[in-house]
Amino acid sequence: MSARLALGLAALAAAAAAPLVAGQHLLTAFIVALHAAYMALAWNVAAGYAGQFSLGHSLFYGIGAYASTMLYLKLGLTPWAGMFAGAGLAGLVGVALALGVYRYNVRGIFFALVTLGAAEVAKGLADNWDWIKGPVGILLTMKSAPGEFFFLRREPYYYVALAMVVALILISLRLERSRLGQHFLAVREDEAAAEASGVDTQRAKTVAIGLSAALTAFAGSFYAQFYLYISPDTVLVFEPQLTMMLGTMVGGAGTALGPVLGSVLFSGLGEALRNLPFENTRPIVIGSKLVYAILLIVILIYLPGGLVTLGRRSRPA
Amino acid sequence: MSALLSVHGVSKRFGGLQALSNVTFGVGHREIVGVIGPNGAGKTTLFNVITGVYAPDGGRVTLGGMDVTGWAPHRICRLGAARTFQIGKPFAALTVLQTVRIGSLNRIADMAGATTHALGVLEQVGLAAKRDVEGRHLTVIERKRLELARALATGPSLLLLDEVAAGLRPPEIQEMIALVRRIAAGGVSVLIIEHVLEAVMRLSARIVVLNYGEVIAEGSPESLVNDARVIEAYLGEAYSLA
Repeated sequence: MSARLALGLAALAAAAAAPLVAGQHLLTAFIVALHAAYMALAWNVAAGYAGQFSLGHSLFYGIGAYASTMLYLKLGLTPWAGMFAGAGLAGLVGVALALGVYRYNVRGIFFALVTLGAAEVAKGLADNWDWIKGPVGILLTMKSAPGEFFFLRREPYYYVALAMVVALILISLRLERSRLGQHFLAVREDEAAAEASGVDTQRAKTVAIGLSAALTAFAGSFYAQFYLYISPDTVLVFEPQLTMMLGTMVGGAGTALGPVLGSVLFSGLGEALRNLPFENTRPIVIGSKLVYAILLIVILIYLPGGLVTLGRRSRPA
Repeated sequence: MSALLSVHGVSKRFGGLQALSNVTFGVGHREIVGVIGPNGAGKTTLFNVITGVYAPDGGRVTLGGMDVTGWAPHRICRLGAARTFQIGKPFAALTVLQTVRIGSLNRIADMAGATTHALGVLEQVGLAAKRDVEGRHLTVIERKRLELARALATGPSLLLLDEVAAGLRPPEIQEMIALVRRIAAGGVSVLIIEHVLEAVMRLSARIVVLNYGEVIAEGSPESLVNDARVIEAYLGEAYSLA
C-alpha cells in the first residue's frame, strides 16, 4: 500500500514538473489529455462503477460549459464559482433524468439510447435558444484575469486540469471504499441480487447519475475557459461522450486509474501527433487515427478489462 | 406460536396462469419450515411475493407483525428477511469477500466493520479460503454457499432458501444440511424450498405442500409421507422416509 502511495506521489511530482520541460505544443497535448482523463473519470462513476452506461453525458458537459459562461457574461459571476453552479444544475438534471428513466424500468441498451436522445434534444434546444446565441456560439475574450479563470499562458490551465484529475482520482478511490460505492458495484453486477442484499437500487442508480453528471459539468466549464469558445456544435455533440468512453474502456472501467491511463494514451497521443511541427500533418493525422482504431480493437479483444488489467496476474478461467 | 412470517390468503396471477391462490401459512420464531411441491407448483413465486419481487394480487404478507405487502425487496431485506436465489446470482466480477461484504453493509455502515463481519460469515459457511476469488470462477456448491453467505450477512431474522441443495452431490448435501442446522441454531428462522426431499424432510419441523399454487397439505414430515393427497401430487410411490 505504501509502495503504491510512493508511486502515486512520484507520478504527481513528475506531472507537476512537466511544464518546466515541455514546450507549448506538448503542454497543450498534456492539457487535452488531463481534460479527457477528468471527463472519463466522471463518466466512469456512473458507467464504470454503477454500470449505468449513459451515452448522454455530453448534455452534462454542455450544461457545465454554458452555465459558467452565461453566469459570467450576464451576472459577472467568476467561472471559479460558476462551475460549481453548473455542476449543481447538471446534477439536478441528471437526477431528474434518472428518476424519469428508472421509474419506467429502462435498462441497459435502452437506458443508453434514452440518455443519447436526451443529449440530442438538449442540442436541438440550444441551437434554437437565442439567449445563449443559438448555433453561433459564445466567444470569450482572451485576457489575464486569474480571479476569473482566464490566463494568457498555458501553465495555469495545466495545473488546474491536473488538480481536477487528482481530485477526481481521490474521489473515485474514496467512493470505492464507501458503502455507496459498494452499492454501485452491486447494482452493476446484478440488480435483483443487490436488492436482495438490502441495496436500494433505484436510489443508488439515481445518485450515480446525479454525481457523475455534476462531476462532468466541471469539465465543460474548464473547456469553455480553456478554448474560450463554446457552441452546441462543440460541447453538445457526441465528441465529448466519445472521449469519455474511449479513455474509460481502453484504460479499464470501474477503476480509478484506468480512465486516466486510457485517456492519456488516446487523447494525449492524438493531440501530440496533431501538433507535430511538420509542413503537412494531414497524413500523420489520418495515419494516427488508423493506428488508434487498430489499437482500440486489439485492446478490447485481448484486454477486455482495459489496460489496468495488464498489471494483474491472470486468473484461472 | 406468534408468527415471524405470516402469509395470509396470498394470490398471484401471471396472465392465464394462477401461480398462487389463497396461500396461507406462517413461520414461527426459530422454526425451520419447508415448502415442497412439484415443478410449477408456485414455490419460487411464493418466495418472490414474500421478498417483494412481485406484489401479490390479493392477500397480505406480514413480517414481525409489520405488513410488508408490496414493499420493495431491499426494504424487506432491511426489515429482516433475506433470500437466496435458485439460480445462484454471484456478482461475477466481484470477489467472494466483496459480495458478502455488500450483504454485511445492510446492517453495518462502515467498511472496516462490514469486512470483519463478512469474514466471519465466510468462516461460518466454509468459504474463507475463497475470499479473493471472483464470483464467476466458483463451482456450483461454492456458489450456493456464497448465496447463503450473502443472504446471511444481511443479518436476517428469517432466511429464505431457494433450492440450496439442488445440483449438489450427496456428501455436499450433507454438508449443506449441517450448515443450515447451524444457522438455525443461531436463532435464525428458515423457510426452505427444496427439490431434494431428503434435505427438506430432515431439516424441517413442518412442511407446507403446494400444488397448482394452492396449499394442499401442511404438517410434520412424518405425517405427510402417508398423506394420500401429497403422495398423489408429488411424492409418488418411490419415496418413503424409512
